[in-house]
Amino acid sequence: MNNNEIIAKYLPAHADVKINNNFIAFEIPHSSLKEIVCDLYRKHNLPLKTITAADEREENGCFKIFYAFGAPKENIFVAPFIRIESSEEFPSLTSEIHEASTYERKIKTFFGLNPIGHPNPRTLILHENWPNGLFPLRKDFNWQTRPAEAKEHFEFYKIEGEGIYEIPVGPIHAGIIEPGHFRFNVAGEEILNLEPRLGFVHKGSEKLFEILPLEKKLILSEKISGDSAFSHSLAFCQAVESLGGINVPERAKYLRVVYAELERLANHLGDIGFIMLDTGFNFGGANGSRLREMIMQINERLTGSRFLRGVNIFGGVAKDINRQAADKLMEDLENIVNDFSEVIEVAENSDSLLNRLKGTGIVTGQIAKDHGVTGVAGRAGGSKNDARKDFPYAAYDKLDFQIAVEETSDVYARFRVRIKEVYSSFEIIKQALENLPEGAVNAPLAAVNLTPNAQALSIVEGWRGDIVYFAMTDARGNISRVDVRDPSFLNWTAAGHAGPGNIVPDFPLINKSFNLSYSGNDL
Amino acid sequence: MENIINWTIQILLLPALSPLCVGIIRKIKARFQNRQGASVFQPYNDLWKLFHKDEVISSDASWIFRFAPFAIFGATLAVSASLPIFASFLSNNFTSDILAVIYILAIGTFFLALAGLDVGGAFGGFGSSREMTVSALAEGGLLFSLLVLSFMSGTTNLFSISGTIDSLPLASLLPVVLAFLGFFIVLLAETARFPFDNPSTHLELTMIHEAMIIEYSGKRLALIEWASANKLLIFITLGSSLFFPIGIAHSMGVIAIAAAILFYLLKVLVFCVAVAIIESGIAKLRLFRLPDLLLFSFILSVIALGLII
Repeated sequence: MNNNEIIAKYLPAHADVKINNNFIAFEIPHSSLKEIVCDLYRKHNLPLKTITAADEREENGCFKIFYAFGAPKENIFVAPFIRIESSEEFPSLTSEIHEASTYERKIKTFFGLNPIGHPNPRTLILHENWPNGLFPLRKDFNWQTRPAEAKEHFEFYKIEGEGIYEIPVGPIHAGIIEPGHFRFNVAGEEILNLEPRLGFVHKGSEKLFEILPLEKKLILSEKISGDSAFSHSLAFCQAVESLGGINVPERAKYLRVVYAELERLANHLGDIGFIMLDTGFNFGGANGSRLREMIMQINERLTGSRFLRGVNIFGGVAKDINRQAADKLMEDLENIVNDFSEVIEVAENSDSLLNRLKGTGIVTGQIAKDHGVTGVAGRAGGSKNDARKDFPYAAYDKLDFQIAVEETSDVYARFRVRIKEVYSSFEIIKQALENLPEGAVNAPLAAVNLTPNAQALSIVEGWRGDIVYFAMTDARGNISRVDVRDPSFLNWTAAGHAGPGNIVPDFPLINKSFNLSYSGNDL
Repeated sequence: MENIINWTIQILLLPALSPLCVGIIRKIKARFQNRQGASVFQPYNDLWKLFHKDEVISSDASWIFRFAPFAIFGATLAVSASLPIFASFLSNNFTSDILAVIYILAIGTFFLALAGLDVGGAFGGFGSSREMTVSALAEGGLLFSLLVLSFMSGTTNLFSISGTIDSLPLASLLPVVLAFLGFFIVLLAETARFPFDNPSTHLELTMIHEAMIIEYSGKRLALIEWASANKLLIFITLGSSLFFPIGIAHSMGVIAIAAAILFYLLKVLVFCVAVAIIESGIAKLRLFRLPDLLLFSFILSVIALGLII
């Protein structure tokens, strides 16, 4: 399908269209926002990838809000946008499209634009000590500003009644995990309501993306969520490559697949172990960590970095894998997979383990759909979405693999999806190494010149789910805005719904089965 | 004179050995996980370290929080002096009764639960609530399993029981084994081991014992840690000296006592290995399934009782 057909299929007639590669942006008036966006979401059933704002008051005298949808298979992104000129308000879509809620809250918090009609426009991410009326992503906010403590108050959802009490947990935990606060409303041991409150690792990353020089932006993208360093930098590189019209050599595309799958393997192996450990199944826990460490050491051997940092560069990758290293890699991976199969066999034969995993932390289909649950958690509930198939990037369109799907949507399903993906990652690496084309591993670039006034959207299926980067340039061809949407941003909203109906001591296990990023959510 | 030596050994042996017991279980668990593991003497180092540390006590804490560790530790000392460890001929008619021992231990649990509630933190509260649920349900199994022995030997004095059980005919082995199975489940519950509790977890929300003591630090924490190690060895000793009193010394004599201590150490080692294997091989039970297991322990004891009456 070419661009004209896409435009005819999804866009209203006479739309003023602006195209950059596979990103189609068109302005729509406030009045028809609801109708057009709901059409894309419901009638065309396109997945909503991100809603984000940009402050263009200096250049164009307005804020813009983009509603970016992806058209799977066609690998094209359709993004209607509205201009906000005189007021600081925009119509909220939350009552129509539930997953818009957190995006709109984020826009309100960081841009000071009010979503009119939003049922619950509380601030998101920024702490109650951040002063009201100070909006960090507006261009006139200096990134070095150090505001005074505001000591505002944050209202948690509260359930009242006889015998119901609250358990505040975190942000400091007994184990070494990222900081986040969880507020439970509990009757005895049963969870009635659970609200995660995040933002404790807010680092101003999106602001820094506007400030730092281009090569530093790349390093920043590796630090958005440390366990997904490669996937995040890949998503950012792809966005920049799209804006700069850079062609990536074939060999680099295959290598990107290999590294991305190594990252997935390391994290899935670790997670599978931790899920078992959290039920107290020590054997599985110890072996998960051991297998993960073996992949990390492979990463270090291939690239010099256990977390695959510094591997992605604009136009390709910095580290090649020669024939000898590829053979050694295949040999090691085969051993690891055999080892892994033995561990899983023991685990699947342990009744006490399966009893803890099955039926725990179910996210019902409607809740998952409304919150736009993505990645492992989404596929555990039967949603057949995988950016590697839907929006193929790098060399995934040339490789043969299946999307791992489970139906039960409980901890066990998320556990199983990870196991299946370990096997499929192994197969993908094998195919990629066998078909590795000869040639350069990166495009020789003297300088990166980006198209002015353009937008690009890039999706990478990280090990948690799809990582979305939206980048746009100003009139001089500098990156003026980068919106990062880690899969955790969506899945956190649903993780809260996995709690009610379960008992308090099962929550750590449920949380671990999602294993969401705090850093990637808080940005 | 000999009596003084015997009683010195009797009183000191258990608290001196208990940290080693914890160390051995940890070591075996580590080996099961392909890990090297810390030395078996690490719990002694931990206690030494904690005894030399300052404490942080919440300003909301009352005298109960300050006093509880001494009560808990004291209770385990009193019980360890009342158990037949290596000699059945020693006699202690004050605290060595089945009911006395069970309820002195319960005093320790009571103060532990109170201390968990005292500071008012969320974790201490649910830790205490869970502990009370578990120990209330475990009480029946414990009492009835020991009652089986008491009926068989016609006495409630622990020293006398250990002196008579191994001279019983082979036919009475079945009720002893059934009662022991019931007792062993209670052992796991009372000493905060799998599948009831995870002594090595870092997850606040799943804890029982660790949640109650989460506010303790320094010297008081050392006392509580030592007391829970004592409690573990107390239950192991109950299991080994009452249900299987093989090798226990029935009369005074250096060789008999030395052999009895050796036998005792062997039996303790077997118990430690069993606990470590259980902890390595299974996952923890869901909290709401714990009562079923404890009820099972109670039923086993009742069947054993039915067999002998």
